[in-house]
Order: sequence, then C-alpha cells, then structure tokens
Amino acid sequence: MTTDVAVQPRRAAKASQKRKLTIEIVAVVAIALFLVLVLPLLLSGFRLNLVGRFLALAIVALGIDLIWGFTGLLSLGHGIFFALGGYAFAMYLELNTLGEGQLPDFFGLYGVTELPWFWQPFNSFPFTLLAIFVIPAIVAGLLGYLVFRNRIRGVYFSILTQAALVVFYNFFNGQQKLINGTNGLKTSTSVFMGQEVGSDSMRMVFYITTVVALVAMYALCRWLTSGRFGRMLVAIRDDENRVRFSGYDPTAFKVLVFAVSGAIAGIAGALYTVQSGIISPQFMDIAFSIEMVIWVAVGGRATLVGAMLGAVLVNMARSLLSERFPDVWLFFQGALFLIVVTTLPDGIIGWGRRSFGAAVSKALGLAPTDLPYLDDTPEAEAITETPEFAEK
Amino acid sequence: MSTKVLDIQDVTVSFDGFKAINNLNFSMDEGELRVIIGPNGAGKTTFLDVITGKTKPTEGVAYFKGQDLRKYKEHEIARLGIGRKFQTPRVYLNLTPRENLELSCNREKNIFATLFKKTPTAEKRTVGGLLETIGLDHKADVPAALLSHGEKQWLEIGMLVAQSPDLLLVDEPVAGLTDEETEQTGKLLMSLAESHSIVVIEHDMEFVRQIARQVTVLHQGSVLFEGTMDQVQNDPKVIEVYLGKETTLTPEQMLLLRIAATMAWADDNFADVQQQVILDRLSRKFAHSPEDQASLRDDLTNLLAKEIPLEELVPQLTTQSQREEALMLSYEVISSNQINQSEAVVYQKLLGMLGLPPETVSRLEAAALEELAARG
Repeated sequence: MTTDVAVQPRRAAKASQKRKLTIEIVAVVAIALFLVLVLPLLLSGFRLNLVGRFLALAIVALGIDLIWGFTGLLSLGHGIFFALGGYAFAMYLELNTLGEGQLPDFFGLYGVTELPWFWQPFNSFPFTLLAIFVIPAIVAGLLGYLVFRNRIRGVYFSILTQAALVVFYNFFNGQQKLINGTNGLKTSTSVFMGQEVGSDSMRMVFYITTVVALVAMYALCRWLTSGRFGRMLVAIRDDENRVRFSGYDPTAFKVLVFAVSGAIAGIAGALYTVQSGIISPQFMDIAFSIEMVIWVAVGGRATLVGAMLGAVLVNMARSLLSERFPDVWLFFQGALFLIVVTTLPDGIIGWGRRSFGAAVSKALGLAPTDLPYLDDTPEAEAITETPEFAEK
Repeated sequence: MSTKVLDIQDVTVSFDGFKAINNLNFSMDEGELRVIIGPNGAGKTTFLDVITGKTKPTEGVAYFKGQDLRKYKEHEIARLGIGRKFQTPRVYLNLTPRENLELSCNREKNIFATLFKKTPTAEKRTVGGLLETIGLDHKADVPAALLSHGEKQWLEIGMLVAQSPDLLLVDEPVAGLTDEETEQTGKLLMSLAESHSIVVIEHDMEFVRQIARQVTVLHQGSVLFEGTMDQVQNDPKVIEVYLGKETTLTPEQMLLLRIAATMAWADDNFADVQQQVILDRLSRKFAHSPEDQASLRDDLTNLLAKEIPLEELVPQLTTQSQREEALMLSYEVISSNQINQSEAVVYQKLLGMLGLPPETVSRLEAAALEELAARG
C-alpha cells in the first residue's frame, strides 16, 4: 500500500522534529544560563550593560523579523513602538521617584502645575507593566488596520510607517509641557523598587530581566511561526491574493502580527531605556528604525535566530568601531549592509545553513533544514526553471 | 425552478468609461463544465473578477446559488464555495505542497482557530489523498518553489479542490504546459467535473475540444455565442471575431474546410503544402489579400483543430454538390504531397461515407488533379 510507504518517512520526520526541538530548547537554556551566570563574571559592569542593551535591541529585531521576515511587510516605523514602551516605563519611574503630590522637575520649567491626565495611571506599576506592551500593540493595531484594510502594501506600507514615525517624532519632540519634549525623560537617577535605576545591582536586575524577556519573546515568536499560523504568515508574504481567494481574510492576520510585533518592540524599548538611562524622541529617529531592519537583514530574514544575532553583532561592531574610529561607523554600517545584500541575500544564518547546514544536521542526526526565502534568490530561480519548461 | 449555480444578469463593469464587461448575461446549471473562450481583451478575466468579488459590477447582479455576490468580500465568497485558479500558477513558494494544501483544506479560517487548533486528522487524510491525485505525493515535503511549472499548476488546482468548493473557476490551466501535461490536466478537470461545477477559461482550442461540452464565446465584454464546440467552430460570427476581420465564409463552407483539414491531419502532419492548398482554395473563393492569407494561415491551424472524427462532420453535409465539393477538396489536399498509407485509409473511409457513384468520384478526382496541376 502506498500509505504505508508514505507513513514511514513521515514518522521519521516527526521523530527528527522532536529531536530538533529538544536540541533547540537545550541550546536556548544553555545560552541563557551562560548570559546570566557566566558573562557577568567575564565582563566589566560597563560592558555587561552594553550587552544588556544589545539584547534589548535583539528583542525588537525579533518583532521586525516577525512582520518583515515572515509576513513580508517592511516596517520602517518600529521606533514608534520602541519609544512608546520606553516612555511608558520612564513615566512610571519619574512618578515613582517622587513623593505624594510632587511633580517631575521639568514640569516646573514650563509652568505646569498639575500632572497631565495621561500621566495619572502611570502611578500604578501593574498598569505600567501592561502599558509597556499594550499601548504599542494598540497603536500598531490601529495603524495596521487603517493601512491593511485599504490594501496598502509593499513600498507604500513602508513609506506610511516611516511617515507615521515622523509624525510621532515631531509630536514628542514638540510637547515640552506633556513629556519634556526633545530632552526626553531621564531614568538613570530614578528610583525603582527602592534602588536607583542606574546602580550596579539594579542594572544586573534589568540585565537578567532582559535575558528572560528575550527568551520569552523568542519562544513566543517560535510558537507563532512554527504552526499553521506561521505558515499563514509565509503564505501572505508569498501571495496575498491567493490567501484571500482561499477564504482567509489576510487583513486580520496582518493586523494581529503587526500588533504583536509592536508589542515586542515596546517591551524592548522599556528594557533598553532603563539600561541606557534615558528615553527621548531620538529613539524615533528615522535612521534608528532603518537600522533595526538592517540588523535583521544582516542576521537573516525569517530565521528569528538571525534577527537576534544580527542585532547583537551589528551593535557590538558599532560600539567597538565607534570607540576607536568615531567618524567611520556610519560608513562601515552602510558598507556592511551593501555587502550583506549583495553577497549574502539570506544573511549570516542563511549563508551558514547553505554552507554548513547539511553537515551540522548530519552531526546532530537531523533531517536537513529548508532554506528561508527560496523565491528571492537567483539560485532558486535557476532551480525553478526546469529544462523542459525553459525549452518552450 | 431549479437554482442556477451561477446566474449573471445584465452585468456591466466599466473602468473609467471603458466597459470591460458590457451587459453580460450568463448562467449555468449545477454540475456543468463550461468553457469560456474569446479573443484577448474580451473580458474573460474580468468576468472571473466579478464572480470572485475582486471587481464589483458597475451595474447588474451576479448570483451564486441564489445569493447576491455583490454583498460579499473575496474571502467570504471563497467561503461560500467558489474557488479560483489564476492564470499564472499562484502557490505559496516557500511552503511545501502539503502545507499549501493544508492551508486551503482548513475549514476554520479565522485567526484563533489558525493559532490554537491543530490540523485535524481527517484533513490530513484529505490532503494525503489529494497529493496522490495531483501526482505530487513524492514531492509533498519540498518547497513549492522547486516544482516545475506544470506541477505548480496542478498544485494550485489541488488547492482549489482542497477548499471543497461547489464552483471551480479555472483560468488558463494549460498555459505553458507540455502536450502530455495538457492532456493530463484535461483528464483531471473531467474527473473533477463529476462532482463540481466548473468554469474553464482557455485559449488552447485543442484543449477546449478535449474537455468542452458547452462553450461560451465572449467578445467585447458580452456573450457572442453559446453552444457546443462544433457549433462554435462553424459559427460565422465566432470565426469573424477570431480571424479578426470580415469573412464571407458560411457554416457550410467551414464544414468543407474542416473535412479537408481532417484529411490533412490524417498522417498526423498538417504539412505546409497541404495548408497551402486549403488556403489557395479559400483565397480564390474569397479573394483575400496576401496579408489576409498570412494571418488566416496562423488562425487556421488553431481553428481547424485536428482529430475531428469524420463521422461527426460528414453527416452535416446536406446537398449533393456539397458532398462533391468535399470530396474534391479532400482529394486535392492528400494529393498535394505523396499519398501515404494513413491518408489513403482515411480517404477510403470518406468515400464510403459520402456514398457517391464511382463515375462521379473518378470525374472529381481528375478535376482535382487538374486543379493542382494548373497551379503548378
């Protein structure tokens, strides 16, 4: 019977998949433990803080990968969600530092005597915890709904997200009386859980929290992208009309993914803010949001691991290079992006899988992994053009 | 009154004043396989757009099983039970055929079911069966980007079936396929027609002949003609549209031409010289300019589709003179190059069916040879 023949390899594939998952979990836990237990012993407080910031940026890279790598929507406006998360946490810290009835210092400069209404809920820590990811999610969801409902796609979507970014930037930059405008909110001297945010022990707490959040977000993204939902995202990227004519409403899926991606960026923003000591409208700089995309492109789209790796590597290179040659970093970043796009279209991870994937799989006793983004690579086109069709 | 599976009433679609569809009326019964043909720009694809909700009619109504389609969005129409295959194969290239089919097969297409539910075993079994039907079971788990063009076409048809729609809309399923693949596709569609209503849009006339029972010809956004393939191919209006100019060919003359073409095809090789004979006859009869003849030659190869059984054609000859003309033209055609075995067999068969007296036959054969000789 044909079914028997078909069942055998499928069972083998299933076993291999299980093995793969186990190996992955072990690897993730090992890396997390290394980051939490070993790395603090190896690095100075300053370096460790840098690593913590990069890991926070790796979280936002995961969000970008979800929306761009998997769903094919290039967002150039993730700075909005990142900053919203950062502002939410910073506002709580401002209020938490003060006694009952006091106002943050900067309000005095602009003659504000009463706490603006939208600051009020940030007295509550549980509310703030929710706000860090719910507010960006709502903003992303709304923006996404308006854009996707009108079937705005491709480059128009990118331009719109960037335009939204500029709008938010200008708004935050100009509102001294509401959120201290261009100066932003300083968090390093604020008090959190009875300690100064900038203190070594508090920084350690935030560092560990970042590692835990990164693992949690990675797990969330893995879950989202591995099942039917993940295949749906890839399907939307490959052919949205086909999805529609198969009876799915792509708008709903896209709005949800964009909101989740925004929420992830919000969490990243909050963690980044407390580790860098300040949140300001600079986080909504156009270049910063584009950099986020570059990290994912460098690491490898639609791979998750690549997004995290790209964020950490690019930022590490940036801090090393800009320490030594402060002027050349931007050139280097541009060159890096060009090199990756022209020679490694699948990023570091894609290149690694192509070159060593088979050997690694074999060593671990696994079925070979599919490459991401087959359609975009010239090699894939060459494969698709079967000889008999080329003749026609 | 039984409900039509598809009923389109007075639909007009205009884009900035250009009427892609103009007062179109169309209906088909449950379980029918209908082929729609028409020259480029006849509105065939727009017609599918109207049914699937991609384009809303400017005027008129489209009903699917009595439901007004104007009220629904694309994905809602798909859920009503209308599946559409696009002109170029559109599958998810980064997913495997199995995953492609599973996404289509899924019954609960809202977000939460997609997020939290696992694929039910019944659906997995359906997908397995479909993979076998479309001949992709051995490639079920490679990315669809690696499939050949024909396999992608088949996969997309499989995805339609997985949706288990009541009505399949298939846009040019054999474009870019090899002859063998074309025939396979025809068989697949025929077997699907047993349990679905199907609309096929196609250019390939030979393929249309293989699958068609009822054919609708669209022209400039309206229905030009409806009937069986033979009626369509003999209809002067249709010929005019396809040849793109006025012709004075009557259905009877078309019939003669087609019999002659059958003779020419008898050795499975419509040689140029034979085509030339048919064209010469045409041109002498209707005095076409050389340019017209050139374009006619291209159209004829398509129009005079091969392998029409003589049994179908000959009984349609009504008068004695028509029979004589058919004989003469056929003899001319086969004599235009070396008469081979298979041509001789078919010719004998034609003689038998015409039932002309032997002396008439020899007189006509002599006349035909004279004709040929006169032209050198």
